[in-house]
This record gives sequence, structure tokens and C-alpha cells, in this order.
Amino acid sequence: MELRISNFLKPDAVIMEMHATEKLEAIRELVDFMVGKNIARNREQLFEALAKRENLESTGIGEGIAIPHARTDAVDDLVLVFARSSAGIDFSSIDGKPSHIIFLIASPENKKSEYIIALAKLSRLLRKLPVREQLRNATNPQEVINIIKSNEE
Amino acid sequence: MKTGEINSLEFNRVLLYLVDNTDRTISTPVIQLCKIFKSHLFVLFVLEEHRISKLASLTRENIELTRQRFEEEGWEMLYLVEDEAVENGVRTSLHMENGQVTRLIKKYVENYKINLILVRKREETKKIFVSAAVPVMGL
Repeated sequence: MELRISNFLKPDAVIMEMHATEKLEAIRELVDFMVGKNIARNREQLFEALAKRENLESTGIGEGIAIPHARTDAVDDLVLVFARSSAGIDFSSIDGKPSHIIFLIASPENKKSEYIIALAKLSRLLRKLPVREQLRNATNPQEVINIIKSNEE
Repeated sequence: MKTGEINSLEFNRVLLYLVDNTDRTISTPVIQLCKIFKSHLFVLFVLEEHRISKLASLTRENIELTRQRFEEEGWEMLYLVEDEAVENGVRTSLHMENGQVTRLIKKYVENYKINLILVRKREETKKIFVSAAVPVMGL
């Protein structure tokens, strides 16, 4: 069965406005949120996996989008978290622009294939300008999920 | 060329150009090479309209669906290379572009100060060996 991003994104995994202003602070905020919502188990393990990747590469893919991601056993299944920042966060994007839409993807070590497919599908989706605009204008978590769902079809 | 001579070369910014039919085993030698030279690896996949049209006509698939599949497969290749690079401590950046390959490679060489290009030897990558302004290594 084909993997659908919208099946992995839940309303309680959406942050409509982030407080963080810089990359590692944003990762910390996302990790704390995930542990608080029982989306992830081990705070430090998850933070370290995400921070390691951020230090080796920019997960800011440009056009105001960042996709921090990691394979780690701090999560039990493939998980997605959507977050938005009106002010923008410096994710050292390839185009130098701040990131306003942040999608975090984490998966257990043994789910590499699912994880790669999810990253690929999300990256393709977020290259589309109308999708980015809709996500920036969404007013609630369910609307965020509906935007992803309708654009996947 | 002796090992010492290889190490004295500076390949600190390496561009890996992936085409849609690149087999996925390419990442291992590329990453080993980047580890030796302590290189920053730039990985590029290009959405070429003529290749997408050709593929759509061969498979008799809707062109929009072909484009979508082509791009997703490209991202998968990029993220697979990245996953292995991160495990090996190699700095990486992923790039998905629309346009004409030789023009894009020229732009990358200039903008990112690339000093080595790596490609799988294929009919469609021959033009890079001829046109590139920096050394090109076929794998």
C-alpha cells in the first residue's frame, strides 16, 4: 500500500506558532513538544539524533521550508510533526531564507525504507508554491492535515 | 599516482550528480572518497523535462504522474545518499533543480566552488565530462 503523509500527521502533532528563533532552539522546542505529547520517548536521544544531522547538513530545503529528520529509536513508529513560525527560523537554508514551515520526521532505525519514502514525498509536496501558501495560511491543525491530504491525492 | 599525491589534492567541495537510472550503490564509494578528502558533498538531482516526456511516452503514463514519480524517486536517491553520509560524518547538502544539466552544473561549480564532480558513467552523463570546468570522475 502506498505511504501517505497525511496518515502519519495527527492534529495533536501540530504547532501553529513556534516560539524558537534559531535552529537548535527550534529542535529543542519540537522535541519537548513530542515528549510532552507522548509522540517520542527519549528526549535526549531524539535531540541528539536531530542535532547531529543539523550539524552535518542543512535541513532547510529553501523557499521557507525546513525538514529536520532523523532515524532513532527514541520513537516507536514513523512520526511527523508540523510547526509554523511567522517570524521565521534560520535553518541555514540553501537559499539563505528563514524557514516558516517546519516538518519534523523521525522514524525508528529499522524503518529506513518508510522514512526515506516519507521524506521524498514530503519534499516533493513542499516544493509546490500553492501547498506552501496554503500551509502558511492554515488556521488550525485539522486544516493543515486536510491541505496535505488533498494535495497528496 | 601515489597515495601521498592523491591526498595533497584539494577536493573539499564535491558534487555528485545523480541521474534517474543511477543505481543506489553509488553512495558508498562517493562517501568513502569524501571521508578521505574531508569534503562537503553536494548531491544534485535534475528534473529534465525532455527525460520526463521521454519516460512518459515510453510508459504511456500521464505526464503529470510521471513527473511526480520522477521527482519522488529523485528525492529518495538524495535522501539515501544523505542517510549514509550522515552515518559516516560527511557534510552533505541536497539539491533538486529544474533545468538543463550542463548549465546547472556550471552554476554549481561557480556558486559553490566545486572542485570535483562525480557521476555514474552513462550515455547521458558524457556531456559533463566534455563541458565541466573542474575534474570529473566517472564511477
